[in-house]
Amino acid sequence: MFKLNLKIAWRNLWKNKGYTFINVLGLSIGMASCILIFIFIRYEMSFDEGFKNEDRIFRITTNWTSPDGFEESQGVPKPAPAALRNDFKNQIEKVGAICQDGGIIKVKDDAGKEKIKTLEDIFYAEPEFFQIMSFEWLQGNPMQSLSQPNSVVLSKDMATRLFGDWNKAVGKIINYQNRDNFMVTGILQEMPQNSSFPLKIVVSYETFRKHPNERFDNWGNVSSNDECYFLLKDGVSIDEVRGALPKFSDKYFKRDNISKQEISAQSLGDIHYNENLGNFSSKTMSKKELYGLGIIGAFLMLTACINFINLATAQAVSRSKEVGVRKVMGSLRKQLVFQFLTETLTISVFAMLIACVLTEVALPGMRSLFQEEISFSIIQHPIIFVFMIGLVIVVSFLAGFYPAMVMSGFSPALAIKNKVTANAGGLSLRKVLVVVQFSITVVLIIGTLVVLKQMNYMREKPLGFNPSAIALVNVRNDSLSLIKYQILQDRISKIPGVLTTSFCRNPPSSSNNNETNFKYNGTEKANFQANTKIADENYFKTFGLTFVAGKAFSKSDTIKEVVVNETTLRKLNVVNFNDALGKKIKIFGKEGTLVGVVKDFNNLSLHEPISPIIITTIKDNYQNLAVKMDSKQIKSIMPQIEKIWNNTFPENYYRASFVDEDISQYYETERVMGVLFKVFAGIIIFISFIGLFGLISFVATQRTKEVAVRKVLGASTFELVKMLNGSFLLMVFIANLVAWPLAYLFVSKWLSTFTYRIDLSIWPFVLAMVISMLITLITVSLRSFKAARANTIDALKYE
Amino acid sequence: MIELKNIEKYYSNKGVKNYVLRHVSTTIKKGEFVSIMGPSGAGKSTLLNILGMLEEPTYGTYEFLGEDVTTLNERKRIELYRNHIGFVFQAYHLIDEMTVYENIEAPLLYKKIGGSERTSRIANLLDRFNIVAKKDLFPNQLSGGQQQLVGIARALAAQPSVILADEPTGNLQSAQAEEIMQLFQKLNQEDGITIIQVTHSEKNATYGNRILHIADGVIKDDVQLTGAKAI
Repeated sequence: MFKLNLKIAWRNLWKNKGYTFINVLGLSIGMASCILIFIFIRYEMSFDEGFKNEDRIFRITTNWTSPDGFEESQGVPKPAPAALRNDFKNQIEKVGAICQDGGIIKVKDDAGKEKIKTLEDIFYAEPEFFQIMSFEWLQGNPMQSLSQPNSVVLSKDMATRLFGDWNKAVGKIINYQNRDNFMVTGILQEMPQNSSFPLKIVVSYETFRKHPNERFDNWGNVSSNDECYFLLKDGVSIDEVRGALPKFSDKYFKRDNISKQEISAQSLGDIHYNENLGNFSSKTMSKKELYGLGIIGAFLMLTACINFINLATAQAVSRSKEVGVRKVMGSLRKQLVFQFLTETLTISVFAMLIACVLTEVALPGMRSLFQEEISFSIIQHPIIFVFMIGLVIVVSFLAGFYPAMVMSGFSPALAIKNKVTANAGGLSLRKVLVVVQFSITVVLIIGTLVVLKQMNYMREKPLGFNPSAIALVNVRNDSLSLIKYQILQDRISKIPGVLTTSFCRNPPSSSNNNETNFKYNGTEKANFQANTKIADENYFKTFGLTFVAGKAFSKSDTIKEVVVNETTLRKLNVVNFNDALGKKIKIFGKEGTLVGVVKDFNNLSLHEPISPIIITTIKDNYQNLAVKMDSKQIKSIMPQIEKIWNNTFPENYYRASFVDEDISQYYETERVMGVLFKVFAGIIIFISFIGLFGLISFVATQRTKEVAVRKVLGASTFELVKMLNGSFLLMVFIANLVAWPLAYLFVSKWLSTFTYRIDLSIWPFVLAMVISMLITLITVSLRSFKAARANTIDALKYE
Repeated sequence: MIELKNIEKYYSNKGVKNYVLRHVSTTIKKGEFVSIMGPSGAGKSTLLNILGMLEEPTYGTYEFLGEDVTTLNERKRIELYRNHIGFVFQAYHLIDEMTVYENIEAPLLYKKIGGSERTSRIANLLDRFNIVAKKDLFPNQLSGGQQQLVGIARALAAQPSVILADEPTGNLQSAQAEEIMQLFQKLNQEDGITIIQVTHSEKNATYGNRILHIADGVIKDDVQLTGAKAI
C-alpha cells in the first residue's frame, strides 16, 4: 500500500510540475537555511566538552561594583590562586593558575643558526591546571613536565612546526623574547577548533614566578591574562564555595566606600557563552544569539511550510473527485490522510536532498563569515543526520497535516459531483497564513534596513579624530629598544609620503584600555577613573585631535604636562575650560600640569559613551609608533617601514596594523549580523513571493470562467488584473500593519544597545511596505495579466 | 435486501423547506435490476445517494441487509462499501494518476485482499471485459466507453452484492451505451448482482426488470417488467 501510495504521489507531483517545483524550491531553501543554522549552533554548543569531571571544574573571576556600574573580568589578582588553595582546603580539590603572554619565539637548528622566528601566544601554567583539565598528553605528564622553571610543553602541531617532527621535540630548546631559553619537556595533543584553550606553548608557572618584574602579592592589580581554575571536591556543592566567596573577597581586597571588588566562580560550561567575560581563545557566543538564529531558522521553515499548505489547500478542489471515489471504494479517512502525508513526505525528502546540495554550496560562505571550521559531515556528527530526519518529519507533518485533513474531509457525495468549492479549501485560513508569512517577511525587511542604516551610520560618523591612513607599528619597550626609538622615528619620517609619526601606547580609539584613579588640583581623589593614553607630543597632530583650550604638551620622557578631554573636565564640574589650564593632575603617582583640553572623541566602540581621558608622556610605556601617511602611497610606504624596522630591531618581530581596520573590528558582530539579515531577508522574500506566485496562478486558474464571463460583459484587461490583484495587495497591506509594531519592538531594542545610534524614523517601515507591495504587485500581475488576456472562447466552450 | 420506509429529504433555506424526497417507501429484493427514472430535479440522484449512504435522509429508516444504516458510523459504512456496494458513475471517475490495472486494484487493496488473489481477480476482470491490452494505460488514453468498462470492472472487483449506477451511459454514444447496458443485464442475470441505476433513457430502463418513476420527490409509479429483453 505504501509503495503504491508513493507511486501515486510521484505521478501526482509530476502532473503538477509547476506547483511541485515551487514547493520543492521553497522547502529546500528553507531546509538548507535550517541545516546551516543547525550545524552552526551544534558547533558553537560543542565548545569545551569532554573534560573529565567537567561539571566540577570552575574558573574564578573578578568583579567590581561602583557608581559607574558593574564590571567583570576573567582575570584574578596574582595571589588569588594561592589564597584560594589555602582557604578552601575542605571544598576544593585542586587550584591551577594559568597566565597568557606572548612574544617572539626563536628556534635554532643543529648548527646553532636561527631557523625560525615567530610571534606566538604562550601560557604560563601550574601543573595543577593540567590535573584539573584532562588534556591528552602524548609525552610527559603535568607534574614532571611543568614543575621546573624554564620548562615548556608544546602542542603536537606547534612541535611539528618548530622542530619538524614532534617525536624529536622533547629535550630541544626554544628561545623566548630574546631573553629566556626553555627546554621542551612534554607534548600535548593539539587543541580542537572548538576549544576555549588554544594552548600551543605552555611554560611552567615557576618560570613566571622567577620574573624580576612580576609581583605575586599585589591584590590591587587585575590583568585579564591571569586566569585561575579549580576542581571542586566530589560531593561538594558549588553553592557552598559561592557562599563563602564574599567573605574571602572581604579578607583580601581593600575596601572603600563607593566601590566593591569581589571574586566569583564561573562554571566551565559557561565560559564559551558568557560575553561579559573573555577567554584565551577570544571566542564567545551568547546563548541568546544562538536562540535568535534558531528562531530565524524556524521562521524560515514556517514560511516555506505556509507555501506548501496554501498551495496544497488551493489544489485540494482539483483532487476532490479522487477523494470521493476513494471513499466509496472503501477507503477510510485515516488511509486518505496517510496517502496525502506520503505525498508531502515525498516532497520533503526530495527537498532535503536538494537542501543538502545547497548547504554544501553555502558552507564556504558561512565558514568565512564566522571564521570557524564548521563541518557538514554526517559521519563525524551523526546528530546532524538525526536533525535532518527530524526536519523532514516535522516539515511533512507541519505542511501536510492540515491539507490532508481538509482533503480527506470532503463529503463524497459533493466531491463526486464536483460541487466542492474553492472555499472548502479554507480560503480564510489561507489568507491568514499569507498575512502571517508576509508579516515575518516585512519584519525581516525592516530589521535589515535598520541594521544596514546603523552600520552605515557607524562607518560614517565622525569620531572626533582621523583614523585613516595611519599604521600602528609595534615596538618593544625593553631598554635596548628604547635607545633606538629616535633612530627608528627619524628614519621612518624620512620616507617620502610619511606625514607625521608619534610614539604612543594606544591610538585614540582602542579596545586595549587602561583606567586609573587620579587627583585633580591637589584635592581628594576624583570619584571616577580616567582612561589614560600614553603618547608623545606628536600624537595630536598625527591623529588630528583638535583643542578647545590650551595646546599640546611639549616633548618629555616622563609625566610633566598632561592633556585631558572635555568629558573629564565636565565630570570634574569645570565650566570654563580655560580655568583648568595650569592646574595640577596627579596620576601614576606623579604630578603633571594641565596644558590643554582636546575636543571629545570616541575612544571606544559606538556602543559605549565617551570616557574621561587623560593623555600624558611616559617614554617606556609606548607600544606603537603611529605613522600617518599620504593615503595614496600606503602601498609603497609599508614595505619600506618594514625594512627599516627590521634593520633597526633585527632581533625582534615586525608587526603592524591600520587604525581604521582595528576600529572596524569593533563591529565584527554587527557586520556578521548585517550579512545574516541580508541573506535571511533575501531568502524569506524569495520563499514568500514564489508562494504568492503559486497562489495567484491557482486563483487565476480557478477564476478563468469568471474572468471570461466578465470579459464578455465588457471588462477591460486592466480592470480584470485589478480584480485579481486586489485581495493579494490587501493581504500584504494587512501583513505590513501586523509587522510594524513587532518590528518596532525588535529594532528599538537592538538600537538601544548603541550609545550612538540613528534616530528610528518611519522611513524603514514605509520603505519595507513599498518594497513588499511593489514586489507583490509585480509577482501577481505577471500571472493575472496572462489570465486576463486569455482567450475567452477557450474558457467558456467546455461548459 | 434494501428497505426504505417513509424517507424524507429536504433542505432548509431561511426557514423554507425545499423538499427533495417525500414519503419514499420501497423494498428492493436481492437480484432485482431497478431503474429509477424521472425528470430533472425529481430527486433521482438524491435517492441513489441515500441508497449509497452518501447522504443521510432527514426522516425515515433505511435498512440494508436487515440492518438500520441511517445512523451508521464511518467504519461500519466503509465496511459496507468494501464488501457489498459498488458504485458506477456517469463521469466514470477513474483516478487519473492510476493505470487501468491500478484503478481496478484500488478497492481490493482497501479490502486487504492478498496479493495472489488480487492478481487473479484483476486478470479475470480484464479478461472478461476485453481490456487486457489496456491495463497499463491511463484513463485519459481510453475512450469513454472503455473508461466506463474500467469503472464497472472496478466496481465489480470487490465482488459487491449491489451496484449503484448514476446515469452510467449518460456520457456515452448509443453503441457504447448499449454495450454497457447489456453488460449490466448479464451481471444481473448470470451473477445475481442487484443493480440500481438512475437513467433518463426509456430504452436503458428496459434492460432491467423494474422501474421506479419519480416526480417532485414522490414515487409516482412502480412498474414490474416481465419478459426482459433477451441477451
